[in-house]
Amino acid sequence: MKKILSAIAVMALLCTACTKNNDPVLNEQPTAAGQLSLTFDAVLGSNDFALNKDFLLSGKTWNFSQLRYWVSNVVLINSKNEEYAVPNAYFLIEENNAAETNSAFLYPANKREEVLLNGIPAGDYKSLKFSVGVPEKYNNNLSLQAGELSQLNGMTNVSWMWATSYIFSSLKGKVTEGPASVKFAVETGLNSNFKTIKLDLPAVLRISSAKTSSILLQADVTKVSEGLDLMSSPVVGAQQASAMSTVAENYASKVFTVKSVK
Amino acid sequence: MKGSAKGTLVLLCVVLLSGSCKRQEPDLIPEEFKLHAMQIEVPEGFPAIEPAEENPLTEEGVALGRLLFYDVRLSGNNRISCASCHDPALAFSDGVALSAIGASGEQLHRHAPALINLAWAKNGLFWDGGASNLESQAFAPLSSPDEMYQNLTELEHELKQVPDYVNRFKQVFQAEIKSVYVVKALAQFERTLVSAKSRYDRYQRKAPGVSFSPEESLGLSLVNLKCRSCHSGELFTDNNYHNNGLDQDFSNTQFEGLYQGRYRISYQLSDLGKYKTPTLRNVLRTAPYMHDGRLSTIEEVLDHYEHGVKTYMTTDPLLNQWDGKPGIPLSSAEKKAIIAFLGTLTEPEFGINQKMNNPFNHFKK
Repeated sequence: MKKILSAIAVMALLCTACTKNNDPVLNEQPTAAGQLSLTFDAVLGSNDFALNKDFLLSGKTWNFSQLRYWVSNVVLINSKNEEYAVPNAYFLIEENNAAETNSAFLYPANKREEVLLNGIPAGDYKSLKFSVGVPEKYNNNLSLQAGELSQLNGMTNVSWMWATSYIFSSLKGKVTEGPASVKFAVETGLNSNFKTIKLDLPAVLRISSAKTSSILLQADVTKVSEGLDLMSSPVVGAQQASAMSTVAENYASKVFTVKSVK
Repeated sequence: MKGSAKGTLVLLCVVLLSGSCKRQEPDLIPEEFKLHAMQIEVPEGFPAIEPAEENPLTEEGVALGRLLFYDVRLSGNNRISCASCHDPALAFSDGVALSAIGASGEQLHRHAPALINLAWAKNGLFWDGGASNLESQAFAPLSSPDEMYQNLTELEHELKQVPDYVNRFKQVFQAEIKSVYVVKALAQFERTLVSAKSRYDRYQRKAPGVSFSPEESLGLSLVNLKCRSCHSGELFTDNNYHNNGLDQDFSNTQFEGLYQGRYRISYQLSDLGKYKTPTLRNVLRTAPYMHDGRLSTIEEVLDHYEHGVKTYMTTDPLLNQWDGKPGIPLSSAEKKAIIAFLGTLTEPEFGINQKMNNPFNHFKK
């Protein structure tokens, strides 16, 4: 009888669980959960990054037209070394000029560097992990949907006509040295270039329901192409596999630092 | 509790279980909103099909995919559909070496492959395997400036103007029209393009009244002996990549490595010049041949294997004779016999039958 009763209970659970499909998902966050604002502030060394503006850096004049990269798998690590993986964390960070397309549907100019994460369990956190790029499962199947992953924003390979997958990062613009001026496009992709970055926070990040906490990261764009000479090889993409892995490695090890935690 | 009562309870549970995971109570769903799960029947001798877990087949999804496959709305200029280059009358190939009917009018660099038995194509799509699945693959021709050149936002907008599509997407995907559902529906339809009803198949299954001529039988033996390492199994393809000796210089890196074969995807030197093995099923309906359509007839293909094979580090050693010379020895009588046998792999109804052909033609009647 006990067995049958528990069977009924299980059935009841199953029935309620499965018939909820049309209802808004119940937010079953722990009672104490808080919000975290994660900002990826693009900089050029000590200058703030901006599009369509000349920057003089080590003898060259740089003018950027696009900075975009996917951030995924955001993880917070608490003082007990326990990891909290933010669900569905796939975000497109970008500074982008409006782009013409082959249709009346323009891609609008956009600047987005802040990600708001809700439902973070209250507690003290000491480190942050995230990846630049799109994890293999989603990179191999463009029809799967999660987070902000989308084919509509030009961050898939279809412009590459190469492997049908996501473009992990893209930095475009013009660089001038003396009389010479070249347009450059530095893109990364490929599962092997999916990189995870772990940053220790300079101060404890306290998450509570009382306020929105924040982490301010700096993304130093001067580091993206470090080790490459864009004057002589201005295109990094499908055909430049080793340059592409240099850029991916730069994102992994040099581009991001934590500026502040509040 | 008595046995019978227990039984009733179990039965009740089963009923509850089967009903519990549907979106609504079964009785309340009007017939036009029901979804019917579908499984591709695995023909005798064929390998099992790994289900596409992220995109399970339904009859309604396949029907939607079929409509989309033949719909010119999928192209930016609303003039070409998938079927423009994958013509059902030609076993979903296009009969030209390199098509130039895309939006730009530029000639493509790759030959449109025939779409045959794709439910088993689990080792990459495109001649170089650049797409992992049919869903992702579809985005490339949809977006490429030299093919359909459709803006995906515009595609969603255009399809939303058609009430029938709005209803069908809602029914199949429980959602409004999005490009990801377009490619999912297309992939569902493509997976149903099974060819397994040729005279060869009836012969294999010992169907009454089906026989091979002596020449066809000789051709079968020759194919088994000389071609089946790559054109293997009942699929007549290993779905793998080989350098079959078309070229021996892969230094041209133009078009993002387009002339370097699978190397452009894998970055492995051992993949230079390798392309996917196409099936031999319906092969006499799918001329011209090779990844760039450079061989116009099946005779030229056999001549290539007999005396045209060029050697490079990655040329498949299976193409070498016992004395190390490149090529497969074949007399002209043997070539004729092979072609006679290949004719038995033709399924005339494939593509043009009532489940695969252009559904818009039916509406016109």
